[in-house]
Amino acid sequence: MPRLEVRDVTMQFPAVRALDGVSLSFELGEVHGVVGENGAGKSTLMRILSGLQRPTSGQVLVDGSVVELHGVRHALSLGIAMIHQELDVIDDLTVAENVFLGSEPKRFGLVDRKAMNERTAELLRRVGAAFPPQTSVASLSIAGKQLVEIAKALSHEARALIMDEPTAVLSERETESLFRLIGELRAQGVTVIYISHRLAEVEQLCDRVTVLRDGALVCTVDRGALSLAEMADRMVGRTLGDMFPPKGEPQTTGVTLRASGAKVEGWVKDATVEVRAGEVVGIAGLVGSGRTELCEAIVGLRRLSEGTVTLGGDRAMFSSPGQAMRQGVAYVSEDRKGAGLVMEMNCFENASLPSLRTIARPLVDRGAERAMFEKWRTKLDVRVGDPKAPVLYLSGGNQQKIAIAKWLETAPRVLILDEPTRGVDVGAKREIYALVRQLANEGLACIVVSSELTEIVGLCDRVFVMREGRTVGELVGSAVTEEGIMALAAGVGAA
Amino acid sequence: MKRLGSFFQTYGVVVALVVLIAVAAIVEGGTFLSAINLRNIVNQNAAVGIIAVGMTLVIMTGGIDLSVGSAVALSAAVGIKVLNGQIAGGTAETTAVAMALAVIVVIGVAIGALNGALITLGRVAPFIATLGGLVAFRSLAKVVSEGGQITAQGSTFERLGQTGIPIPGTSTPAGNPVEITWGIGLFVLVALAFGFVLRRTAYGRHAVAVGANEKAALYSGINPQRVRMWAYVLMGLCVGLASVVQGMRFGAVAPQQTGIFYELYAIAAVVIGGTSLSGGKGRVWGTVVGVMILAVITNLLILMNVPSEWQDFVQGVIILVAVLIQRGQGQRP
Repeated sequence: MPRLEVRDVTMQFPAVRALDGVSLSFELGEVHGVVGENGAGKSTLMRILSGLQRPTSGQVLVDGSVVELHGVRHALSLGIAMIHQELDVIDDLTVAENVFLGSEPKRFGLVDRKAMNERTAELLRRVGAAFPPQTSVASLSIAGKQLVEIAKALSHEARALIMDEPTAVLSERETESLFRLIGELRAQGVTVIYISHRLAEVEQLCDRVTVLRDGALVCTVDRGALSLAEMADRMVGRTLGDMFPPKGEPQTTGVTLRASGAKVEGWVKDATVEVRAGEVVGIAGLVGSGRTELCEAIVGLRRLSEGTVTLGGDRAMFSSPGQAMRQGVAYVSEDRKGAGLVMEMNCFENASLPSLRTIARPLVDRGAERAMFEKWRTKLDVRVGDPKAPVLYLSGGNQQKIAIAKWLETAPRVLILDEPTRGVDVGAKREIYALVRQLANEGLACIVVSSELTEIVGLCDRVFVMREGRTVGELVGSAVTEEGIMALAAGVGAA
Repeated sequence: MKRLGSFFQTYGVVVALVVLIAVAAIVEGGTFLSAINLRNIVNQNAAVGIIAVGMTLVIMTGGIDLSVGSAVALSAAVGIKVLNGQIAGGTAETTAVAMALAVIVVIGVAIGALNGALITLGRVAPFIATLGGLVAFRSLAKVVSEGGQITAQGSTFERLGQTGIPIPGTSTPAGNPVEITWGIGLFVLVALAFGFVLRRTAYGRHAVAVGANEKAALYSGINPQRVRMWAYVLMGLCVGLASVVQGMRFGAVAPQQTGIFYELYAIAAVVIGGTSLSGGKGRVWGTVVGVMILAVITNLLILMNVPSEWQDFVQGVIILVAVLIQRGQGQRP
């Protein structure tokens, strides 16, 4: 008998049918991957399974009996817990307080802290966390917070755990320990439903994989039945071909942007990177190695306590992104929702935001503003129904294209892209890779920061590797390999 | 049905105002609809209206200004003091009035700049920074007026507050045509100017971005501190202009009463008008409608002889209801 099952589930929203007659079962003690592009229906399916949403039609079965889930608490009481991508922990509370939030053990009507901490300690041992129950959650890394969420799910005797892109914010090492934990949970009979964009991960971890496309079930296969390329093809419904465009010729022109001996208090100890016009330079390294902070310092978002930045040979120490922009240096943040775009604003307003002054004389020329977005809409193939709707409703890929377009509009000489494909589906990823290469070919100096090694290796002509705040090596041309980068990033082997 | 819903979400306040006016017209027909009564409603609320328009900008950028009422008292007190001093010193009355008006506006702007500096450079939370002003400026106003009321000398100052552009075909009980006062004119002008700035200029867009997501604004090359600073300076300009209107209307300042609760009326009007208290979304025309809703309610309560003790209670309930309706709208996706 499957632990969890959906039968002929359909979810009709006013504008779109998010799920269309999907039937699917999740067995006891299996790790079941669910993959699909953005908008394929993964999130809707998970929301239905975790009680956040009721389907328009169709049934949900838990342990073989039909149930109507009315709310997250109800689902939890049946042993179904969801770990969201945006973790739900509360920073101001301790680990134990988070784990037992809303179900605190009581003694004489008061919270029994001793029992709460003891039970939390046991759960933390089970998930392999090294911190005590009294730790403040604010002081934990993202990986630590994730463990707290899993412990919280286990405190409810969760027997089905839904994880939404859990590794998106983890370093390689943290990912490995998460996978070990998932393996242990499986051995204990817990069903893990694992949603991810990263096909290689799904292949490595999952016993079975289900592919969704446009709200419909494409197939459910056992591990190894499909190659990664075949899986990607099924997700997009067409043959993708090569993910990466051909690389460029080595550039011999002078260095466009160079940061040398850079130091950012608390993050970067000693970093040197440079980029020439026409090339794509990668900055690789584990999460927390100071990549993002280095880039933020270059555009004036953080203070450089030591070191210099030069642009075209001239000193260029920027104190704000506005100043960097006026000198032709643009930074596309890794945090698209929090810093890259204003989610409440529409496509026109987001695309024109950095360059608004150029079309305000002094009133904003709305025709010019529209033309601005339309130009990039065509060039970057941004797919939007109504450009006057908030960008909040767009897919990750289309949001990212607008986040890039708004900077291209400022006609930069240097474009720094931080995690340009995070939360972006396979099809749009490929388009973004092609775009970056095309921009480089047109003479732009591009820097790409990424945690995805395949992306760095596939896209970049030259790679700087960072470890614990220092650039520990530079790889060029054919020396750019996953093994080479990992050896430097993890500090093993010769640099 | 869905279109009807979104119509109400956008224009619900206008519908509310129209209904309110219809009710007032039915209940108190002739008196309410008389030209002089309608003129008075707007005239009595012009000062609060001008402040509410400025408050729309401040709230849109995610801030708040609690010091406006006290700032009105302080700037008007100093202005009238200057006026009386000049007249006593033998300056021509028109020159003295011009100087007083200039002083009032300059003090308003200076107070705005001070608030802005505390909030941007001093990194004090807007609520706290302007709460200090709320208390301190009123105290200063009392110091300036030595505890009592100051009345403007000469007739020019007060006459400016009573006169304006006559409306043909209307008549006061005394038989003169009803005049649209300069104060009303200033309110209209300020509302139009701010509406334009917020909707159509780069600054207005930057203000929306800062209010909606300050980090994203910073990352987009905008200087959020400068945007905020200007919001408070422009708020100060509105305070100065409101103080001019207020001072002229009474020809006097009583620091115990002048501008009292203006910050609350202004914030209430902004919220009723559909501007989000959490920033990033705002509309000046909504605020103007909000001011008029509060104004018509007050007028209606007076015409219906509701005891004055009860009037603020009714206002309070109306404000709460408006905020609850707004919150309901915000939750709908």
